[in-house]
Amino acid sequence: MTLEATDVCYGYDDEAVLEEVSLSVNRGEVLAIIGPSGVGKSTLLRLLALFDSPDRGRVTYDRNEVWTAPERQRLEYRRKIGMVFQEPSLFDASVRRNVTYGLRVRQSWRDRLRHEVASLVGTQNGTGDAIDALETVGLREKATQDAASLSGGEAQRVAFARALAYDPDILLLDEPTSDLDPRNTAGIEDAVYRARNRGIGVAIATHDMHQAERIADRVAVLLGNDVIEVGDTERVFEDPADERTQKFIDGELIY
Amino acid sequence: MLLEPTLWPALVAEFPFEWHYVRSIIYVSLYVSLVAVTLSTLFSLPVALLVGFKEFPGKGLVTSLINTGMGFPSVVVGLVVLFGVSNQGPLGELNLVFTREAMIMSQFVLATPVVTGVSLAAVSSVEQNVRDAAFAMGGTRADVALVTIKEARYGIATAVLAGFGRAISEVGSVLIVGGNIVGPDGHSKTRTLTTAIQLEARQGQFETAMILGAVLVVLVLVVNAVVVRLGSGNGGRY
Amino acid sequence: MPYSNYNDIQSYFTVAFDVVSMAIQRRRFVTAVGSGAVAGLAGCTALGRDDAGDANGPEISGETLTLTTTTSTYHTGLLDELNAPFQDRYGVTVDTVAQGTGAALETARNGDSDVVMVHARSLEDEFIEGGYGVNRRDLMFNDFVVVGATDDPASIAGSGETTSAFEGIAESGSTFVSRGDNSGTHTKELEVWEATGVADEFGEWYTEAGQGMGEVLVQADQQGAYTLADRGTYLSMQSELDLEILVEGPIEDGPEMLMNPYGIVAVNPAVHDTVNYDLAMAYIGYVTSLEAEKIIRNYTSEGEQLFFPEAISEEPNFEQYVPEEWERNE
Repeated sequence: MTLEATDVCYGYDDEAVLEEVSLSVNRGEVLAIIGPSGVGKSTLLRLLALFDSPDRGRVTYDRNEVWTAPERQRLEYRRKIGMVFQEPSLFDASVRRNVTYGLRVRQSWRDRLRHEVASLVGTQNGTGDAIDALETVGLREKATQDAASLSGGEAQRVAFARALAYDPDILLLDEPTSDLDPRNTAGIEDAVYRARNRGIGVAIATHDMHQAERIADRVAVLLGNDVIEVGDTERVFEDPADERTQKFIDGELIY
Repeated sequence: MLLEPTLWPALVAEFPFEWHYVRSIIYVSLYVSLVAVTLSTLFSLPVALLVGFKEFPGKGLVTSLINTGMGFPSVVVGLVVLFGVSNQGPLGELNLVFTREAMIMSQFVLATPVVTGVSLAAVSSVEQNVRDAAFAMGGTRADVALVTIKEARYGIATAVLAGFGRAISEVGSVLIVGGNIVGPDGHSKTRTLTTAIQLEARQGQFETAMILGAVLVVLVLVVNAVVVRLGSGNGGRY
Repeated sequence: MPYSNYNDIQSYFTVAFDVVSMAIQRRRFVTAVGSGAVAGLAGCTALGRDDAGDANGPEISGETLTLTTTTSTYHTGLLDELNAPFQDRYGVTVDTVAQGTGAALETARNGDSDVVMVHARSLEDEFIEGGYGVNRRDLMFNDFVVVGATDDPASIAGSGETTSAFEGIAESGSTFVSRGDNSGTHTKELEVWEATGVADEFGEWYTEAGQGMGEVLVQADQQGAYTLADRGTYLSMQSELDLEILVEGPIEDGPEMLMNPYGIVAVNPAVHDTVNYDLAMAYIGYVTSLEAEKIIRNYTSEGEQLFFPEAISEEPNFEQYVPEEWERNE
């Protein structure tokens, strides 16, 4: 089961950001996308998350073309993917409500209405998947707290749980730990492991190469407008095929 | 005059109106304004979402309309509605002249720009990241709209209250389209608190006008308090 | 104002019933008109028996009559007293819209009301001559008075003549507050000015308030100015004003010129076929009846009779049916 972008091109106005980029995310592995700031990692992830369609090229889910499929079907694909951004962007509600959001939107309107009424009346019960997700990030006890009262690190972990709660096949992370302290970073990385071990395919964009080294199975190097190198982590870092990769790792390349 | 200690007990003892008269005009005021504001909100929220988040031709025009509408002179609205529902007008068939429904129409026109404008500000301030997150988690466009509204709920509540305030304080247009009618039994058909106040004032009965004015103010305060209470109580965190 | 006693629950039901019955009313009215048209086409004369479900009484039961009238008729409370028996007898509702003479007639011209009751003969004549009104009847009269401050700077007190009083006010430059709102009172005031020699010589002393009688009296009171008022409104506010009657009206032996007659006219169904002509004629019939005459005559404010009915008379009064200048052909 693979989420794959093939020869995708994307640009804003006159500027091309990605040119003929191909990348695949497979279940049960962690893929790190590294490259300098602003090179287009977020853009690539947004294309993979099916936010926008590429100007040219294809995006396929399990070999099914996404953008030629009917909207209803595309929604189904989108719902198999989870995404966490650099900022937690939690809803102004309780942690529990945040985490169960993904589950709620997948219910029929009638069920949603029923649950909405139940929660207003006060007969709230934790949904199993939501509790599990919170467990994975180690924040189960904070379920009833206001999202606004969490620290930055806790909020990001809840954002992670939010994306996990509906059991996606693929998880896309856009520099999730850039704003976090080491302890919270470790918490997120731990959660990434657990997700991977559950069979989820994780793609994580990061500018922290050490993080890539720590947690990724494979690494893709995005430089200029293209993925110049993809391969097993160890190999890419120790014996890169492209000399630009070496320069980047050594910190020489500055864009 | 209002502070005379003998005034209030005397007024309560010899309240110049039958209670059922006052009750009927309160009922008309509330009925017309609440229905108008509800319809206005149902109309305004989608418009606010559209203007806030979508590009479309004529968007600038719509925004100008909203801003102009907020300060639009209410008597003019009354005249336009009267022309519309009059026998001579395009909606003459519906027999709406001098009815509460016509009053609802004019209050709808007055309240909508306010509700839309303030809601627009509220929903625009919802961060794109939050909307993206909702979308990323598998929400449809409708889901994202719902999330936006929920995130902006305090601003929207303010918008609705502002719209309600404008509606229930209306005199000129509801007078023109409603006709300030009360049945011989003292039962109000189209008389509101505001038009009743106007009636008493023009007859020189300023004290009774003030009493009705006090009732109106209390009513507005109560509605505001209820909405705020709902916001801070259960609805705030859920 | 005379409001009868209802208990609260009944009034809530009345409101709900009002809303629902108005909705049903319209449909029933349309059905009745529709089936009446069909029956008429078939040569059937039994118009009233089509609506099988209406076992309650006459066909017009449950309908609404829209009456536009002046603020002075309404404010005295006479109409509430007058309309209640009519409503009960026919099971209908009279919606009284107090708008002021000019607006009342204009609303009727637009077909938004069924019958008008005003007190400006020249405007009524204009209305009839325009073809908008039919079946005019004289209804009742009271009178106007000229009021002013006690110190009477223009010295018009006791003057038996309206025009000379007005001339006196103009010559002395004393402040005069006009209704300025195209009402019956305003129309009369302008007629008087026309009859004086000074209609074109208004100065700063002449102010137009553009408001109702009550407000104008308050304004005149505060400025110590003169104004023309209908006796009824003046009497009802007398205790709060320092103004005095300086020129009496015909009821108290003053000049005929200050007579204030009220007329009632139905809106011509030929111009607006949506007006409730049946009910308007039933109403005119009622208010010009013996029963109504009694109500009008007995209606008092502060112990004084406000209106003098003139609809019923042994002597024929053809002038009430036609515009005032109408010439009789022999």
